[in-house]
Amino acid sequence: MNARVLVAMSGGVDSSVAAALLREQGYDVVGVAMRLAPEWPPGIRQRRSTCCSHDDFEDARRVAERLNFPFYVVDLRAEFRANVIGNFVSEYLNGRTPNPCVMCNREIKFDRLWQRAAALGADFVATGHYARIKRDEGGAFHLLRACDHAKDQSYFLFTLGQREMRRTLFPLGNLSKTQVRTLARGLGLANADKAESQEICFVADGNYAAFVSQNAQPAQIRAGSIRDSSGEELGRHNGIHHFTVGQRRGLGIASRAPLYVRTIDAETGDVTVGRRDELVSDGLLAGMVRLAHPETLSGEDIPIEAKIRYRHPALPAILRILPEARAQVRFLSGGPAVTPGQACVFYRGDEVVGGGIIEARLGR
Amino acid sequence: MRIYLDHNAGAPLRPAARDAMMRFIVGGGEGNPASVHFSGQRSRRFLEEARADVATLIGAPPRSIVFTSGGTESNNLAIFGAVHNATRPRIVTSTIEHSSIIAPVTELERRGFEVVRLVVDEDGRLHAQGNFNVIDQNTALVSLGWANSEMGALQDVRLFAQAAQSAGAVFHVDAAQAAGRIPMTVEESGCDLMSISAHKIGGPAGIGALYVRPGCTLAPLLLGGPQETGSRAGTPNLCGVVGFGAAAREVRTGLAAEQEHVARLSALLLRRLEASVPGLRLNGPRDTRIRNTLNLTFPGVLGETLLIALDLEGIEISMGSACAAGAVEPSHVLLAMGRSSSEARSSVRLSLGWSTTLEDVERAADIIPRVWRRVAAAEFLSEQSRAEPWP
Repeated sequence: MNARVLVAMSGGVDSSVAAALLREQGYDVVGVAMRLAPEWPPGIRQRRSTCCSHDDFEDARRVAERLNFPFYVVDLRAEFRANVIGNFVSEYLNGRTPNPCVMCNREIKFDRLWQRAAALGADFVATGHYARIKRDEGGAFHLLRACDHAKDQSYFLFTLGQREMRRTLFPLGNLSKTQVRTLARGLGLANADKAESQEICFVADGNYAAFVSQNAQPAQIRAGSIRDSSGEELGRHNGIHHFTVGQRRGLGIASRAPLYVRTIDAETGDVTVGRRDELVSDGLLAGMVRLAHPETLSGEDIPIEAKIRYRHPALPAILRILPEARAQVRFLSGGPAVTPGQACVFYRGDEVVGGGIIEARLGR
Repeated sequence: MRIYLDHNAGAPLRPAARDAMMRFIVGGGEGNPASVHFSGQRSRRFLEEARADVATLIGAPPRSIVFTSGGTESNNLAIFGAVHNATRPRIVTSTIEHSSIIAPVTELERRGFEVVRLVVDEDGRLHAQGNFNVIDQNTALVSLGWANSEMGALQDVRLFAQAAQSAGAVFHVDAAQAAGRIPMTVEESGCDLMSISAHKIGGPAGIGALYVRPGCTLAPLLLGGPQETGSRAGTPNLCGVVGFGAAAREVRTGLAAEQEHVARLSALLLRRLEASVPGLRLNGPRDTRIRNTLNLTFPGVLGETLLIALDLEGIEISMGSACAAGAVEPSHVLLAMGRSSSEARSSVRLSLGWSTTLEDVERAADIIPRVWRRVAAAEFLSEQSRAEPWP
């Protein structure tokens, strides 16, 4: 009997082609759409492209019908609310800028969904992520960047351990987005030219601060002062969750030179702003650090490339492993604004060797 | 071969219904029954023969049968039609009704009616005690399901009919799941209005009927021509009507034997499952129910996962009601019976019917416990091996 693979389908072109490729390769494909986000308020869905809307499920269902494999919708809303939305809200309330996709991959797609897959007798879970998993001669698994570096999504997947990689397939890892769209057209998939979903899927209108306010207790909202680097108050704000480090727009402060958010202090409620050059950092401190193969990262100072935001290039840096799942990352040359709450992923060439969540910047 | 255990959602088309529809289509199928000419008269004959067959199934005079597009339209027509000119402000229903009763009644509540939703006991049964005093001179309509689609409980409709009658209220019974499953006549039930649906008894989907007691006036939902004695404008779905009539005829003639057969298979399946799934719970009354329906709580699993896992093994069952996206919601019926949300999420419905064979049941009794064990093990192991919370 062919290996059964549960393919997480969003209704987008990537996961659709992933399912099609696996079917071509002879897998027993079972398509699944995950119901994750709370229902949209009426009228909002039409405004922009997202995932897990009703139309997206219908797109996924049509692909499954066309390629003739079974398709189901599974309800993971409770798990998503507890593990992804809850974390997203509390991180913002604590002055950090979370990356919910990292959390969703870890908690939902490669854990809770795997649970469902195992229950359905599946051998693998597959997604339309652009990333690769390689098995070495010793049988260990390695997470690699996608061949298409422009689309590479390995950044969001750094928490995957051996257990998860063993049961995961990324059929698009060797393909470019252009190739994927061409394949989709060749297969006659109606969603071949569907726009990409970009923003955070559960915040319907892209207004994160409003979402956080709606999902927080009033007592959790931390209002405070906007100060310059010398500590002088430039104005007031009504909640630190409106800010992210590196932010320029929407500060409500008049100034000759553009001002950027430098730090957010959840204790005092202070938001410090400064000129662009004041954002530059030497490195960062990361917590909740995961290393893919700790035994291979020997020595005090480990040369790596560090990626501190999904859209940033990886920068040459020196990694130092600290106790309690912490790590220090020093950029070899001046680094960009470091945003606490985002993931810092450690690469060596194409391989993801680990990563963590940014706790603080190291100043100059 | 797939094993179809979802008759309450829609029974497979009976060969007799299929053959009758084929004869109708192959024989021309043209002709509006309202037309004067030969073809019209031919169609009219098909229509009226089917009406007589459907009427006989529920012991009603043929003239009292209004064909509709299905159980949902029948319920809508009954509820909106009965209260259209009502001066009484109250509607009495229950907490375990089908969505096609819940939604119209909720809409009427929004328009100003007072709605009383009678509660059920833990077996899903309504009791006369304390419930009859809300059925009084202020009550315009009592609308109740006879047999519950999700767990099969049968209600004492006669008692409620008597209460409605003495209060002068219209009594509507939704018999979509009861018709063809228990012997019945509209007279015995005491109802003024009765909804039935073709595809629950092995007719085609998209056709149903509403019995309207002679003398009971109903405002139509659809306005237009004088079809269906003015209660439902528009040319009826003739092919569907023909299939409905044939299915009704077959059910009527073979009801006792077929129901005995289904009851035996269902009891066997329950016994086999109870023997191999420790902690399995039957929801709904053990006795006062339609025998084909088994609503079961499987310990330690999500019904949603069990349903999908069984589908992949060729066994087709269902759970609660599907949302627009195709995901399943926990059953409001089980919640109304006092089950917890997690118990409701662990419950699925198996419903047998005319097409179910002993072999189906024996295979299902082998496969279901095996799949349940796999699903339960996956959920248990995953809880055990979950990584420490992160962060």
